[in-house]
Amino acid sequence: MASPALQLLTSTAIFSAPLVLGGLGALTSERSGVINIGIEGKMLFAAWAAALGGWASGNPIVGLLAAVLAATVISQAHWALTQAFRIDHVISGMGLNAIAAGATSMLNKSVLSRFAGTRAAALPLPFFWVGAVLATVAVAYVLNQTRGGLRLSAVGHDPEKARQVGLKPVAVRFRALLATGLLAGLAGSLLVSNAGGFTDNMTSGRGYIALAAVILGGWRPWPTLAACVLFGFADALQLQLQGTGLWGAALPPEAWQCLPYVATLVALMAKWGGTKAPAGLGRF
Amino acid sequence: MDAVTQNFGSVRALDSVGLEVQKGTVHALLGENGAGKTTLMRVLYGALQPQSGKVFLDGVETTLRSPAEALRHGIGMVSQHYAIIPELTALDNLMLGAEGGAILDRKAARARAQSLADSMGFQFDWDAAAAELGPAGAQKLEILKLLWREVDVMILDEPTAMLSPEDADALYASLRGLADQGRTVIVVTHRLSEVTAHCDHVTILRQGKNVTDFPVGAKSQHETAELIVGKALSPSAARSCRPGEVLLETVRLDVRGDRGDVAVRQVDLGLRAGEVVGVAGVDGSGQRELVQALLGVRPVLSGAIRLVGSDITRSSARQRIALGLRGIPEDRHEEGVIDDHDLVTNATLGHQRLAAFRRGPVLDRAASRALAGKVATMFETKHSHLGQKMKELSGGNQQRFVNARALAHEAKVLVAFQPVRGLDIEATRRVYAALGEFADQGGAALVVSFDLDELLEFCDRIVVMHSGHLASPPTGHERDRTMIGAMMVGTA
Repeated sequence: MASPALQLLTSTAIFSAPLVLGGLGALTSERSGVINIGIEGKMLFAAWAAALGGWASGNPIVGLLAAVLAATVISQAHWALTQAFRIDHVISGMGLNAIAAGATSMLNKSVLSRFAGTRAAALPLPFFWVGAVLATVAVAYVLNQTRGGLRLSAVGHDPEKARQVGLKPVAVRFRALLATGLLAGLAGSLLVSNAGGFTDNMTSGRGYIALAAVILGGWRPWPTLAACVLFGFADALQLQLQGTGLWGAALPPEAWQCLPYVATLVALMAKWGGTKAPAGLGRF
Repeated sequence: MDAVTQNFGSVRALDSVGLEVQKGTVHALLGENGAGKTTLMRVLYGALQPQSGKVFLDGVETTLRSPAEALRHGIGMVSQHYAIIPELTALDNLMLGAEGGAILDRKAARARAQSLADSMGFQFDWDAAAAELGPAGAQKLEILKLLWREVDVMILDEPTAMLSPEDADALYASLRGLADQGRTVIVVTHRLSEVTAHCDHVTILRQGKNVTDFPVGAKSQHETAELIVGKALSPSAARSCRPGEVLLETVRLDVRGDRGDVAVRQVDLGLRAGEVVGVAGVDGSGQRELVQALLGVRPVLSGAIRLVGSDITRSSARQRIALGLRGIPEDRHEEGVIDDHDLVTNATLGHQRLAAFRRGPVLDRAASRALAGKVATMFETKHSHLGQKMKELSGGNQQRFVNARALAHEAKVLVAFQPVRGLDIEATRRVYAALGEFADQGGAALVVSFDLDELLEFCDRIVVMHSGHLASPPTGHERDRTMIGAMMVGTA
C-alpha cells in the first residue's frame, strides 16, 4: 500500500489531467471569442468514441484517433452553429451537451453493451499526463509567439476591429475550434484510459469544472493548468477523506464529494472581478 | 478617380464623381453628412465596388476589389473608429494582419517599429497595452500601421475629431512631413480652420456630386462653408446671455473612474439659468465621469451635487429625471437608444415613469406617440414612420433624435456629451440654436465637446477640464483660444 501522500499525488494527477486537457480545449476557443460551455459534450462524445475505437480495434491509437475525430466533429458543429448560423453560444453549447448526454447513453446501450466486462484499449495514463503538460507548453507558445495566436487573440478581443485590419474572424475561429477538438478528444480518451471503458455521463461535469478553471486562470494557459491541478487536488482529497468524520461527527460520503465543486465556487468568488474575459466572447 | 457612381438601392450616393489628387500633397475632402465623402473613400480603399467609374493610380487604371488589394497598391485608410485592439500591446497592434511570418519575430518588429516612429517623431511604449493610448496616441499608431504596410496614399477620416488643438497641429505637422516624402494624404474633415491652416487642396462634395475643387487660399472659410451647405448660411444669432439663478451646482466633487483612480477632483461647478456652458478638454480628462455623476449613473466619492436647490448627490437617475435633469449620453448607440425598438419607445425612454406618459401602471402609448412625433420633427430626424426601428436610422439621425428627446419634455437642465458628434454644419447650428432657445426660456445646458472651435462659436461661457480639475479661463481670456488650448493640456 502506497503512502497516503503518494496516493494523494497520484490521484491528483489522475483527476487534474482531464481537466487540463479539457480546459485548454475550452481556452483555445474562448480566446478566439467562442464561449465553450459545450466542452462538456465534446469530451463526452470523445470518451464514447475512444471506448468504441479501443474496444472494436483493440488498438489504443485507434481509440485516441476516434476520440479526436469525434470531438473535432462536435467542435466544428459548434463552430457552424455559432459562426455560420449565429446561434447564441451558450444555448448552442448547452444543446450540444444535452445531445451528447442522450446520444452517448443510447449508443452506449446499443453499440457498446456487447463489450461489457472487458477493458477498452487505451494509451496508459502517464502518456496523458505528459501530454497535458506538453499541450500547455504548446498552447502558450502558439498564443504568445505565433501569428496564428496573435490573430486568435485579436479576434477574441474585438472581432469587428480584427475585420478592419483584414482578418476573417469566422476563419480564425474555425482553426481555434480545430484545436479545441484535438484537446477535447485527448481529454475524452484519457477518461476512458482511466475507467477502462465508457459509462453513461462519465464526464460528470468535468467539462464545466475545466471551464471554471479557464476563468479562474484568467484565460491564460499556465494559470489554467494551475487551477486544474487545484481542482484535481480537491477531488483527490475528497476521495481520501471519505469515511472520516469532522470533529468527531460522522459525515456522509456525499458531503466530501461536494468538495471539488465547493472549491470551484469559492475559487471563482475569490477571483471575481480580478480577471477580464476576452471582450469579444460571443460577439461577431 | 473618374466618374465614380455608387447606388445603394434606389439612393444614388455618388453621382459620377471625379477626384484628382496630386502626389505629395495634403488634400482635404469636405462635405456635409451624406454628401458621399466616406462612400467615395471606401471606393478608393477597395471596400466598395462602384457601379461605374474608374480609379487611376499614377495614371494607370487600377481595379481595387478589396481593402487588401488596395493595401497592396499602397492605399490605406484610417477610419473614424480606430481599428486598435485595446487588450493587445502597441507593437502587436502594429503587426496584426501584416506579421511577416508564421512565427512572430518581435525583436525585429520592434526595431522596425522604432525606426518608423523615429522618422515621424512619435514615441511609443511598445509593450504597454494599447488601452493606455490616448486618442492622439491611437491616431499616431494608426498612421504607423499604414507606414508599416508601406502605404503611399493615406486616407484619414475625421482624424482630429478627438484631439486637442495642440495634438491636432502636431498631427498635421507629421502629415506634412509625409507629403514632403512624396506620400499623398487625403483628409476627410468637418473642421474648416484646419483645412485653411494645413491642407494644400480642397474638394467639396454635395449630394453625391463633386461641386468644386480649388487650392487652399482661393476661397475664404465663409465661402467654403457656403459651398459645402449649398446655400447662404443663416448667421448664428448672437445671444445675449442673462444668467439667472444657479440650477445645477457641484461642491468639491470627487468621482472615481473605471480604473479606481479619482477621475474628477474637487470640481466646483455652477450652471445658471439662461446659460449654455461648454466644457473643453482633451478626451479622458474626467468629462465622462463628471457627466455620468451628474446624471446619476456613477457614484459620487465625495462632495455634493445640487439641482434646482435640492441635494441630489445620492439620488437615483430616476429622481433626477423627475426633477427636470436631462442627459445626452456620449455613445448614442450604446447608451442613448435601443436599436431594436421603434421610435415611439425610444422617444419615451427616460420619461417612462413620468405621470404624463403613464395611465396607472401601464404606459400611455398615445402620449408616447405624440412625444415621438415632436422629437422626430424637432431636428428633422429622417425617418419613414414612427414605428420604424431605431437601428434603421443613420448615426447622424439617431443623434438628432437623442438630442431632441432630451429637450422635448419638461427639461430644466441639460447635460450633454458631444451632442453634435457626426452632425454637419447646418445640423450643428440647429442643435445649438435649440440649446440657446432652451436657455433663453430659463433652462441651462452643460455641453462637453472635444472640439474647442465648436464650443467657442456656440457657448456663452467655457470652462476647461484637465486631469480631473475644472477651471475657468482667467478674466480677459474667457474666449482666448490659445489660452484655453494650453489649459486643456495643462501648460497654462
